[in-house]
Amino acid sequence: MKSVKKFFQYDNIGLLFVLPAFLYMLVFVGYPIIDNIILSFQNVTVKNLVSGSRDFVGLKNYFDIFKDQVFIKALWNTLFFTVSCLVIQFIIGFGLALFFCKNFKFAKAVRGLLMMPWMIPITVTALIFKFIFGTDVGILNYILQSFGLIQQNIEWLTTANTAMFAIICANIWIGIPFNMILISTGLTTIPKELYESASIDGSGKLNTFIKITLPLLKPTIESVLILGFIYTFKVFDLVYVMTSGGPVNSTHMLSTYSYKLSFEMFKYSKGSAVANVLLVILLVISILYLRTTTKEEDA
Amino acid sequence: MKLKKVAALSLATVMVAGMLAGCGNSPAAEESTGAAEQTGAEGEETASAEGDVTIWYYWENEGHQKALDELIKGYNDSQDEVAVQAKYVPFADFKKQLSIGASADELPDLVILDNPDHASYASMGIFADITGKFDVSSYYDGPVASCTLDEKLYGVPFGSNCLGLYYNEDMLNEAGCTVPTTWDELKETAEKLSTDSVSGLAFCSLQNEEGTFNFMPWVWSTGATSYEMNTENGVKALTFVKDLVDSGAMSKECINWTQGDVMNQFISGNAAMMINGPWQIATMREEAPDLKWNVALIPKDAQNASALGGENYAVIAGGNEEGALKFLEYATSDEQVNFMMNTMGYISADKSIAETQFADDPIMKVFVEEMQYAQARGPLPEWPDVSDAISLAFNEVMTGSATPEEAAATAQSTIDEIVQ
Repeated sequence: MKSVKKFFQYDNIGLLFVLPAFLYMLVFVGYPIIDNIILSFQNVTVKNLVSGSRDFVGLKNYFDIFKDQVFIKALWNTLFFTVSCLVIQFIIGFGLALFFCKNFKFAKAVRGLLMMPWMIPITVTALIFKFIFGTDVGILNYILQSFGLIQQNIEWLTTANTAMFAIICANIWIGIPFNMILISTGLTTIPKELYESASIDGSGKLNTFIKITLPLLKPTIESVLILGFIYTFKVFDLVYVMTSGGPVNSTHMLSTYSYKLSFEMFKYSKGSAVANVLLVILLVISILYLRTTTKEEDA
Repeated sequence: MKLKKVAALSLATVMVAGMLAGCGNSPAAEESTGAAEQTGAEGEETASAEGDVTIWYYWENEGHQKALDELIKGYNDSQDEVAVQAKYVPFADFKKQLSIGASADELPDLVILDNPDHASYASMGIFADITGKFDVSSYYDGPVASCTLDEKLYGVPFGSNCLGLYYNEDMLNEAGCTVPTTWDELKETAEKLSTDSVSGLAFCSLQNEEGTFNFMPWVWSTGATSYEMNTENGVKALTFVKDLVDSGAMSKECINWTQGDVMNQFISGNAAMMINGPWQIATMREEAPDLKWNVALIPKDAQNASALGGENYAVIAGGNEEGALKFLEYATSDEQVNFMMNTMGYISADKSIAETQFADDPIMKVFVEEMQYAQARGPLPEWPDVSDAISLAFNEVMTGSATPEEAAATAQSTIDEIVQ
């Protein structure tokens, strides 16, 4: 009894406080992940899902998916989609954040309005963009035609490259507010005095930006980019609603392809193997994120 | 130091997992909202727990839901041993929920499911073998075949439907066209009817089961079977669809349209003809009462063909089988089948009932006629794989990313791996 008491003195008492959250994570997050990893090493299909005779097949599912053209395409799509969205969202978001930190009239109100895309359910956004990019009835083609920019309607969602472009556009629209608000918050933490003394020393606008704003924003920028990467990489609903991976599998992401394998084609083990590839990539990114943040906190 | 690394790693895992949880955990949330739609629970408090029967179904159509409610209420009021309740599961989630339910042992007692999936789930072993418990001798062959696996009966056909050709009478008259009956006539008519804002023909060509459902009539009409894509006839069907798209007679956007979307295009006058099923009729009459349209058999190549749609009842093995069977007996009685089929615009899978249905409805009569030519998809446990290969093929052809010959060859190699 005494030893128990001793154990919970000082530092160790913290463990007790963490316990409920830890147990929750173990049951609701840890278990499914481990189960999913085991599933990916078996050959579970529609025939043995219930009967229980699951054979262990080692890495066969992983070899199979890496030979699968659609998977390679989905992997590449996911990377391409994430990087393009991230770069453009970040630049526009940064620009807007700089713009709205000037204290003009209505700055706060307009900035609040710009949060709208972030708050709208993604399914709604996806449907709206599906209408916008419609070939015969879409407003984008209508506008382009009335300005005489195009002669023929562009088949946005039924051609491979333009479908990808349309999905990226939709996602950028969603992601800008996220970037903007985080960078805005970062900007407010930079002391005004620094800018004042810089201007007294005769530093120009661009110079101030490069020498003061960027270095001081570095932790914020790192967080925004890494969180943005994770949010974008696991995209599902947007693609599922807008194209369901089509035309001809050209816009499949890892998430949508995993869903298709598992729940439309009943290849549960292959589906979970794809999901695990997604997990591993995100894991690497997250470790990177935790490293940078803990380093800064230590410093 | 090492401890810190371990802590960081586990934190990272947890973080990613939390983010992925968005995909993984949603079924639980849906389940709770679905529960709000539970119906027919009136008799519940009097019944014992063993007497409960839960049904899963996926009809989003309000009329269908009300009909089912009434059927269940009628049954619950007629006796007090078994209390039946129904739960709505969205069609897009239905397969997922059944799979998850099967592995988590949380299945209902009875399901009303899409007939091409029946064989897959029967081979999974979640359906009870009810051979000899129901007399299906008066039923159409296609629906019964879809419930049968290895000569055992794993379900009872609920009701059937099939696809037909809808046409806009005003547009046809204006263009001076007659109703097409062959592929050549169809193509010619569709081309004539196409304008800048109107496409001559539309049918759902999604790259999934719904698209396959709409594409198979063209394959079967040539005389090919579902497993003969890389044959003269298979290529012919693919070429026909490609020509429709290339000539502008059909909008390429069909690859993103559900059957509901196609119907909306038709009633808003953006499509002059469409392939669709009888379940759209009630909505069409309601949404566009002034539109003049009619229905005909799907134009044929070598023979008439249509795709058999509809649902089957299946009793879950290990659930309340006895209660489910009792309800099924009630639900498949002539009186109840008549009520359900007529309210829902379905054709009974029971031939003797189907022939008496719709005596004064010329449109439904066409669908009853088309039923004779309707073929079932599968039945094959691996049908989803075959279907995926076929839907990939016509999507490749329609978007121009492969020639009919190439697409047929790719599809065939996938199909041959599955069907030996």
